[in-house]
Amino acid sequence: MAIVTKRVSDEREAEEQNFNWVGTRAVRPDGVDKVTGRAKFGADLHLPNMLVGKMLRSPHAHARILSIDISSAEKLPGVKAIVTREDFSDLASEFVPAGEMMVNYRDITRNVMAREKVLYEGHALAAVAAVNAIVAREALALIQVDYEVLPHVLDVVEAMKPEAVLIQEDLLTDGADPPADKPSNIAKRVEFGHGDIETGFAKADVIVEREFNTRPVHQGYIEPHACVASVSEDGQAELWCSTQGHYVVRGHCARILGMDVAKLRVTASEIGGGFGGKTVVYLEPVALALSRKACQPVKMVMTREEVFKASGPASGANMRVKIGATRDGRITAGEAILHYQAGAFQGSPVPPGAQCAFAPYDLEHVRAVGFDVLVNRPKVAAYRAPGAPISEYAVESVVDEVAKKLNIDPIEFRLKNASREGTKASHGPKFGPIGLVETLEAAQAHDHYQSPLQPGQGRGVASGYWFNIGGQSSVTLNTSEDGTVALVVGTPDIGGSRASLGMMVAEELGVELDKVRPMIGDTSSLGYNFLTGGSRTTFATGKVAVDAARDLVSQLRERAAKIWDVPVGDILWHNGEALQKNGRGGPTETLSFRDLAESMGKTGGPLVGQASENVQGAAPSFGTHVVDVDVDRETGRVEILRYTVVQDAGKAIHPSYVEGQYQGGAVQGIGWALNEEYIYDSEGRLENAGFLDYRMPVCSDVPMIDTVIVEVPNPAHPYGVKGVGETPIVPPLAAISNAVANALGIRFSELPMSPPRVLAAIAAASSSK
Amino acid sequence: MQNARGRVRFLLGSQPTEVELADPNLTLLDYLRTHARLTGTKEGCAEGDCGACTVLIGEVHDQGLRYLPTNACIVLLGMVDNKQVLTVEHLGREKIHPVQQAMADQHGSQCGFCTPGFVMSLAGLQWAASCKNESTPVDRAQIDEYLAGNLCRCTGYGPIVSAAREACSAPLPESWQAHTAVAETTLRAWQNQGQPLCCTSDRGFFAAPRSRADLHTIMSDHPGATLLAGATDIGLWITKWGQRLSAVIYLGQIPELQRLVQNDEKLEIGAGVSLQDASTTLSEISPDLNRLLRRFGSRQVRNQGTVGGNIANGSPIGDLPPVLIALGARLRIASTGGVREIPLDTFFVDYGQQDLAPGEFVESVVIPLDRDLRFRCWKIAKRFDQDISAVLGAFAAKLEGGIVREVRICFGGMAATPKRARQCEAALTGQPLDHETLARARQALATDFDPITDMRASAHYRQRAAGNLLEKYFLAMTTTDLPDLYDEKTWPGLSNQSFANG
Ligand SMILES: Cc1cc2nc3c(=O)[nH]c(=O)nc-3n(C[C@H](O)[C@H](O)[C@H](O)COP(=O)(O)OP(=O)(O)OC[C@H]3O[C@@H](n4cnc5c(N)ncnc54)[C@H](O)[C@@H]3O)c2cc1C
Ligand code: FES
Ligand code: FES
Repeated sequence: MAIVTKRVSDEREAEEQNFNWVGTRAVRPDGVDKVTGRAKFGADLHLPNMLVGKMLRSPHAHARILSIDISSAEKLPGVKAIVTREDFSDLASEFVPAGEMMVNYRDITRNVMAREKVLYEGHALAAVAAVNAIVAREALALIQVDYEVLPHVLDVVEAMKPEAVLIQEDLLTDGADPPADKPSNIAKRVEFGHGDIETGFAKADVIVEREFNTRPVHQGYIEPHACVASVSEDGQAELWCSTQGHYVVRGHCARILGMDVAKLRVTASEIGGGFGGKTVVYLEPVALALSRKACQPVKMVMTREEVFKASGPASGANMRVKIGATRDGRITAGEAILHYQAGAFQGSPVPPGAQCAFAPYDLEHVRAVGFDVLVNRPKVAAYRAPGAPISEYAVESVVDEVAKKLNIDPIEFRLKNASREGTKASHGPKFGPIGLVETLEAAQAHDHYQSPLQPGQGRGVASGYWFNIGGQSSVTLNTSEDGTVALVVGTPDIGGSRASLGMMVAEELGVELDKVRPMIGDTSSLGYNFLTGGSRTTFATGKVAVDAARDLVSQLRERAAKIWDVPVGDILWHNGEALQKNGRGGPTETLSFRDLAESMGKTGGPLVGQASENVQGAAPSFGTHVVDVDVDRETGRVEILRYTVVQDAGKAIHPSYVEGQYQGGAVQGIGWALNEEYIYDSEGRLENAGFLDYRMPVCSDVPMIDTVIVEVPNPAHPYGVKGVGETPIVPPLAAISNAVANALGIRFSELPMSPPRVLAAIAAASSSK
Repeated sequence: MQNARGRVRFLLGSQPTEVELADPNLTLLDYLRTHARLTGTKEGCAEGDCGACTVLIGEVHDQGLRYLPTNACIVLLGMVDNKQVLTVEHLGREKIHPVQQAMADQHGSQCGFCTPGFVMSLAGLQWAASCKNESTPVDRAQIDEYLAGNLCRCTGYGPIVSAAREACSAPLPESWQAHTAVAETTLRAWQNQGQPLCCTSDRGFFAAPRSRADLHTIMSDHPGATLLAGATDIGLWITKWGQRLSAVIYLGQIPELQRLVQNDEKLEIGAGVSLQDASTTLSEISPDLNRLLRRFGSRQVRNQGTVGGNIANGSPIGDLPPVLIALGARLRIASTGGVREIPLDTFFVDYGQQDLAPGEFVESVVIPLDRDLRFRCWKIAKRFDQDISAVLGAFAAKLEGGIVREVRICFGGMAATPKRARQCEAALTGQPLDHETLARARQALATDFDPITDMRASAHYRQRAAGNLLEKYFLAMTTTDLPDLYDEKTWPGLSNQSFANG
């Protein structure tokens, strides 16, 4: 675990040495609640009179709903409410942001409750609220649904064919050139790039072109979706749920249910992982509809099978990537054609996938084209750097192959072509101070990269990129009369953000960390907050928290000025105390935060620091991963021997949680690369909807993941923070594939590289020799 | 049953607790979360896979009270009768437990949803380590073993491993001994009362007979009742497949089924012996069995699941049956009419069909101990831990002057039942260990099985892997120094022996 800092100026360096909290590894404020079981997650709330809600889900991958008969279910004693499509009004097509992805209200309302058709196995089509789970399940069994089963399509290439069955009958491809005149399953075509790739390829000495296929994978948060809804007779509503953004949930639910937004108060429970998958609504509007009908609180919790079948996952994809380079290792052109599964409704992350594909490279001629394609699978949701791991897997695999062909060290090759400050990215913008080169150099210098491999082992390298976002946040600092502070934010804490936000505020105020108590406010307690996603919380909410603290400090200075009867301009705030700039300033002449808090009633009333902003200036984070593997030639099992993550954090406020993001992302990537996949039968039903057969890594699957934090500060953040949460999942797929190629001499172009697939490839290679 | 008790009785933490069992299907997790409102224990899957629901079950054992990490989601409440249940809420009553402290200090949680389960598994490890009376610190292999049944999606496990190391070098909390002594006294007193449990309600009954005689009686009174052992299969019938059992007879309180008897000729394992307890003894037959049982489910599943259940469920992918068949085991099946003993391979008639009549139960499995048998077995699965076998091959042969005199080869995952490779055996018997024999045996093996393609593996992969295993066994008989599948270099110190108590 190392931190490599590239400092922007001496001034910062001087400042940095004086940090009391920023950059330390303090125990987080919710640490003890988490280890004692006290932390309350989505399913942990019990209200008096609470009912249990359960969902009826489609057994078919694609079918028209002819009728839904709830009459006998309604008569079952203990059943208090049933809702179907009849209870939700249709909404017009309108796109709104959810994290880095967009959702469409016309589609959301159909995804939470099927209308004309069921579009995937697990699609919700009725829900029951009953006195307990047993009665609710019995009632579901009594609901009669008549279906006209339709042909289904799961594969992205099949779905694009003109003869494919149409999932949405009137869908015309957006962005097609010439404009589409016939409906198809292709919802959208996007294109990014500059230069002229044909010119570029003409200059190349080597060209490598390959086709890649990846499978959908699930975010795999351990906490299933859960919520408790309570609607009173007058239409005021409370919702408790596990979400990455309770304001976003509020907006979606109010729209779907036709309520005034302010009538709905949403409280975010502790969230048991999201990774992008808890940025949309599934159960919440349904629980509210049930509660509205029953006039009792309703709890809904997904089973693990429902989580797999009806939430998430990330897209599976088919891709073609072509890269050309000169003999001396300069890339002349890059092209990527990406086909991403959207699931049953449009909105795959193919636009960001296309934007990120070539981001690590400074290219003159580059083009990335993406297609968003409907298939009869659950609608995809964001998953950590949505879209990027897939496209960058393909690009980084081809880059590795080109480097090998040219006999250039893969890091050297990347350094020759790396994006730097000022590079025009393939998707348009000019990069600011980015840290890609620094991560490559740190990886190259790392003991891991220098250490020898045993025979049969392989080493792989890949880089990765994610934009990160800013956006709206509101923060309040409520000063207590004893000089302690409640730090209220509106972005749920998934991975320790309360710690880093509290540390920045303690730093600004100059108080002990335990005098600041960070907590997540409900939607009525603060101004608007966009969700925790896009790696924005420590950056954007962090900036707003610092501004709120500075607001509080300026009030504190004013109060001190008032007490001392001097101009406020003469008051300094230092280490939690007010002092005067000139003259007096002896030890008795300071006013501590506590002094000022105790006397606030007499000096002007409550001291409340506030800030609400739409934060701009998010900076991208680049990472470079190095991995060593061993492949068991008899079983096809790939073992991860050593793994090192090097990534630019801008500034690590709490290094342990930055490392935690690096390690967690890398391990998710290991699962994606080696074992995780959705397996469907011929009827379009998911066969492995459980953790026993959906193989996420366990402890014994992974070594200790080594990390290096590179710090190239982001000028738009007071401490230099860039988001770090998403980039770590981008490089692993290619890094591992490159390592396997290095070990076996076999290039895989399909994920996951599960033992059967690896064994088959080894067999094919040996029989073709 | 005479003087039966109608309410489930257990220590919840240190609190004696009695519960009217209104539904025999009630799981321990549902009881904790919805009845006792102890929501610290989480539900991540309700299928025994994620470990978020891990609790410690304290039970009276030879040396005293022992604490076993268990998946509360697939334990039925009636099974904890006369036992102690410790949840994450009970660990740190006076002062935060060393495992909790270490998890907080090492930043072992990100979202924290998995944390209570990890805390409980590590508390089990710390307890087991402290029973060892050695000062060797726990190693990564032991940590991996105890954490095989716990999923964390956020941390990448590194900080949790660090927390495990830190916690396991700390002594048990001071209050632990005192609490344990009190608990043990209570549990022993309860056991000595000898009352069997029999809960009846309009949703059905749950009975826990305490002797074979009682078992016979209750089975003849309720011929359709489900026999329940560790519930690592049955729990899923309820939580995953939505079945409601109306009559349940729990076998876990019958001492006759818990026996492990070993002499020079044979080893007899009672049907109710847990997979974890069996592993110590089975490991003495072959280190391969140690390795295999190390990879059977997870620590939680092995603490709960039984040898009898793994046989009686008749699964084609159960890990023990192929091994036991290769070892020449016989099955003792009991009923009021007495006991019959059959070769284990004849027990598996067809998919889902076993040679077990109504009124019969599996009493024990008897393994002949033959030092001349050259035994090896290998499990092939996608993941090292917590995975169902795609193929399991078990091989046992006797050689005489380089000639195969006798051989039994049995595979799991290759047919609708655990099945012997008869053609392959025939091709080997009486033959020398040379290339021609191997080629013929491999060919014969291909005719023995017609495996299926499913989500775990394709037919082709299975055939190929089975052939590779045969070859590997062949090599093993001709050389001494053979690398293992998932060898010990990579998976060092599979040392559950030193944790026999845990
Ligand atoms: C997460 C997880 C991982 C697993 N991993 C593995 C693995 O790696 N390998 C593997 O082989 N299995 C695995 N299993 C399956 C299961 O753990 C085993 O089959 C186990 O041995 C079943 O034993 P049990 O005592 O829990 O049986 P139960 O669930 O109690 O019973 C299973 C069946 O056997 C019957 N039965 C039990 N005892 C008797 C008896 N004495 N007489 C007659 N009938 C009886 C029951 O009526 C029932 O039909 C796993 C299960 C889970 C949940
Ligand atoms: S809830 Fe997942 S193992 Fe019990
Ligand atoms: S900390 Fe989130 S699952 Fe482990």
